Amino acid sequence: MRSVIAAVLVFLGGFIIMVLEIVGARFLARDFGSSFHVWVSQIGVVLIALALGYYLGGALADRWRRLSVMGFLLIPAGVLVFLIPQASGGMIDWIITRHPEGAAIPIFWQKCDPVLGSALVFLLPCVALASLSPYMIRMATQSLAMVGRSSGSIIAASTVGSIAGVFVSGFILIDHFGLKSIFQITGGLTVLLGILCIGLDRKLAVAYER
Amino acid sequence: MIGLTMLLALAACLLVPMPGGAAVVHEYTSPYHHIRVIDASGLRTLYFDDAQESIISLADPLKGHFEYTEYFHMGWLWNTQMTSVLMIGLGGGSAQRSFEHYYPNIKVESVEIDPAVLQIARSFFFFKESERQKVHVADGRMYLRRSSARYDMIILDAYVQGRYGSSLPQHLATKEFFELASERMSTNGVLAYNVIGTVSGMRASLVGSLYRTLKSVFPQVYMFPAKSSLNVVMIASKTGVPAQPTALRQRAAQLVQAGRAPLPGFMQRLEVLQTAPPPNAYRSTLLTDDYAPVEGLAAGWQ
Repeated sequence: MRSVIAAVLVFLGGFIIMVLEIVGARFLARDFGSSFHVWVSQIGVVLIALALGYYLGGALADRWRRLSVMGFLLIPAGVLVFLIPQASGGMIDWIITRHPEGAAIPIFWQKCDPVLGSALVFLLPCVALASLSPYMIRMATQSLAMVGRSSGSIIAASTVGSIAGVFVSGFILIDHFGLKSIFQITGGLTVLLGILCIGLDRKLAVAYER
Repeated sequence: MIGLTMLLALAACLLVPMPGGAAVVHEYTSPYHHIRVIDASGLRTLYFDDAQESIISLADPLKGHFEYTEYFHMGWLWNTQMTSVLMIGLGGGSAQRSFEHYYPNIKVESVEIDPAVLQIARSFFFFKESERQKVHVADGRMYLRRSSARYDMIILDAYVQGRYGSSLPQHLATKEFFELASERMSTNGVLAYNVIGTVSGMRASLVGSLYRTLKSVFPQVYMFPAKSSLNVVMIASKTGVPAQPTALRQRAAQLVQAGRAPLPGFMQRLEVLQTAPPPNAYRSTLLTDDYAPVEGLAAGWQ
């Protein structure tokens, strides 16, 4: 049961991260254009978030071993995602308008402006979501002898969630929903994931201590 | 001299022979496209991936181009006082060269996202930059957003048709983008948009959507469906008065008579003009920054 819960939670986490990555690239295009650099930035920033999130999640898991901790991380992350359509305009405006008008943007900033934009909008929520996987490995593992299997299945479930996120967002959501509603649904889903973590806290904690 | 001969011989070997006497003159993969320049029966074609972007006649680089590019010249009928034109999308630069050639009072500026395309236009398509022919390597929307210039006409030809459908840059097809373009145009400004599709057949839903989206910003939108290819050139005007086909024909005749529209066949281009909206226009999707399912529309899923 414990591993099923863990798998479902990380599946959702992986799903949300990739929806943010794919739909986010589309979102950034209206300000940074559809240049190759926008895709490179978006992929790079999400990978930075994964690295930070994995590290953070692992450290938190050793320190707390309570599922509710994830909830307190994911709920604010979900609120951030929900607010992306309204809140990110000003930050991105600043990135673009800080270059003097009329002159070409230096090549360095042509490449790095979208990185900056992507990081400001997507880094924090993706860090929180990525921390879920290592945290759940710790929560789901009952003995050292099982650590290989449990980490393997958690990582697999999270990756399967990511695969679903890529195709569902790129092939279905983009065709049927506005970006604003996609961010709001995704933000809502992240909050829900956080609430699940708090709600299931006792269930997993009791099982753990038995 | 011997060096030069050897160089030419080497160059000849590098021309990869293709069936039907076609030869790949140049090939380059940029971050955006697999670009090829292919010569066949006196014509030079620019390919992005599998799509033909530009054609010129090697004997006369002002000839051989796609028919649809000539509809861009129809902008004169809605704005007879043009002195500046911005073209988004360079390709082989045929439209750019023809505006420069036929209209000595016009300054042409182009925005091209891919630096490799500019290099190839220079080296293989007789494209030369000058005071009257400028190119900015940038994303079209980014460029417009940061620019304070006002153009009399903006031409959008940033469109790639590939084997699996088109890749229309969605950020250059939304209401918000057209509002930005309108702000960057003079009072009688004209916007021309090349859409790949037909008015009531193939990809009609994309054509309908673009019509509706343009119409949400510009008071008047007209269509020129090309005869020899699946292109529809839309002309959107900032002026509110609807133009009657007879009045347009008179204006065209005046321009030709005054020698201000020396493009061969200028009058005949008016024949395909459609003043009525496409049948599906008001059922079509309004494209916005929030919701622009251009891939789905192009594939006919909607």
